[in-house]
Amino acid sequence: MASLTFHSLTGTVEKIPTSSFCSNPRISATFHCKNKGEKRVSRMTLKAMGGAAKYKGTQMREKQLTEMIEKKVTEAKEVCKGDETSDECKVAWDEVEEISQAKADLRIKLEIEKKDPLESFCQENPETEECRIYED
Amino acid sequence: MAVCTVYTTQSLNSACSISTPTKTHLGFHQKQVVLDSTGKITSKKGSSSSSCVITCSVDHSQTVVIGLAADSGCGKSTFMRRLTSVFGGAAEPPKGGNPDSNTLISDMTTVICLDDYHSLDRTGRKEKGVTALDPRANNFDLMYEQVKALKSAIAVEKPIYNHVTGLLDPPELIKPPKILVIEGLHPMFDERVRDLLDFSIYLDISNEVKFAWKIQRDMAERGHSLESIKASIEARKPDFDAYIDPQKQYADAVIEVLPTQLIPDDNEGKVLRARLIMKEGVKHFSPVYLFDEGSTISWIPCGRKLTCSYPGIKFSYGPDSYFGHEVSILEMDGQFDRLDELIYVESHLSNISTKFYGEVTQQMLKHSDFPGSNNGTGLFQTIVGLKIRDLYEQITASKTAAPLEATKA
Repeated sequence: MASLTFHSLTGTVEKIPTSSFCSNPRISATFHCKNKGEKRVSRMTLKAMGGAAKYKGTQMREKQLTEMIEKKVTEAKEVCKGDETSDECKVAWDEVEEISQAKADLRIKLEIEKKDPLESFCQENPETEECRIYED
Repeated sequence: MAVCTVYTTQSLNSACSISTPTKTHLGFHQKQVVLDSTGKITSKKGSSSSSCVITCSVDHSQTVVIGLAADSGCGKSTFMRRLTSVFGGAAEPPKGGNPDSNTLISDMTTVICLDDYHSLDRTGRKEKGVTALDPRANNFDLMYEQVKALKSAIAVEKPIYNHVTGLLDPPELIKPPKILVIEGLHPMFDERVRDLLDFSIYLDISNEVKFAWKIQRDMAERGHSLESIKASIEARKPDFDAYIDPQKQYADAVIEVLPTQLIPDDNEGKVLRARLIMKEGVKHFSPVYLFDEGSTISWIPCGRKLTCSYPGIKFSYGPDSYFGHEVSILEMDGQFDRLDELIYVESHLSNISTKFYGEVTQQMLKHSDFPGSNNGTGLFQTIVGLKIRDLYEQITASKTAAPLEATKA
């Protein structure tokens, strides 16, 4: 009989640390992070924590998105200081949402679907800079 | 297999318009057979004032179009993946094209992200002070033209909106699929586009659940904190309420996701209550029901035959009114912990359009990785996927039915 793996939807809010973070968090699993950045994965995520970027271009894209999130959040906080209901403030947070979703989509693709978005492109163009195999 | 489509006007006595052959990328021979007003086939070609022309062609005449309103990004959402999986095959971005394409293609379905119809890119929106939620940031004329073309089996060059760079990239060729899904913020906003939809779904996530999901999505990001996540949701809310939310009145099915009522004062958002609101009287769509159609039922499957762990599972079903429409609402609160709970529940649901017993369970298991696999959100998304398959089969069957008889002469 096939065994069933179910993932609960969210981690518990109060246990999520604000200072440190887990590397490679799974979107759909319960997880706990210890302060040293050590990760203890719940019993429901026994699969190997693979799903890192395969090509250099994707790894760079991940980094770029992470930096963009930080930058856009800072910008939004700045813009909204004056007037929280202004159009500028709305647009700034909308950009944060757009980038956050883009990053999450990339993570889902790598970790759950286990596909590098550059796969098809790199089959055709293996010599390009972005298609160098990323070595950790 | 060639299928003959009869193009007629209201009565057979008046002149029939000659059909324009549908454009496909397959070569085929068109035979023209003329029927006189009594329906007998004659060998005359060309139309007289009282005859109809039957055009035999490969049946690619009408693409079935599904609209999905969701705020969770495009084409990569769980719902889309479940939907394309019901039809078989994995949905992939177009091969050899722009790696940042939002489009997904499988054998039967093509999923288009409506963000591709942004008229303003990120810079443009910043200049005008509009969010992506604002209709002013979207080109509804182009959306209508292209969806209409695809529906009529004509390929289009669709723009690509790049979510990373925030720019509009060069267009990609989209060939008309059997099933076209348009997913995004505004599938039902424009009336002309709405009229092209054969079926529409709205994913209605309550504020508390949205907050919990976005926390889970963003908390691991260096730039984010609880405050920034909250601020982002709050800032987008006015536009969301003004432009996106009103679309739900037009949807044939709404999947509402709320916090559970089984755990008092639960604010963790772990256990969810999902409601499937189904419009009555929609062509080719028969709402799912529990036990006795049209009655009001409250059902807790856990008991002597089925043991569930805390907080258990609770179902309800009944007729209601939603924005002035008659609807049936099927609701599930709680979560599945074991395979047998899922099978037990499936066996008690009716009108789920499965092809075999256990198909819902099988689909849920196939994607046990996806969020919602253990609760009503996954269950209802899967069921809606099966209803769409049923709708597609009914629509295509009704097109190929009676006229086939006429060609046997």
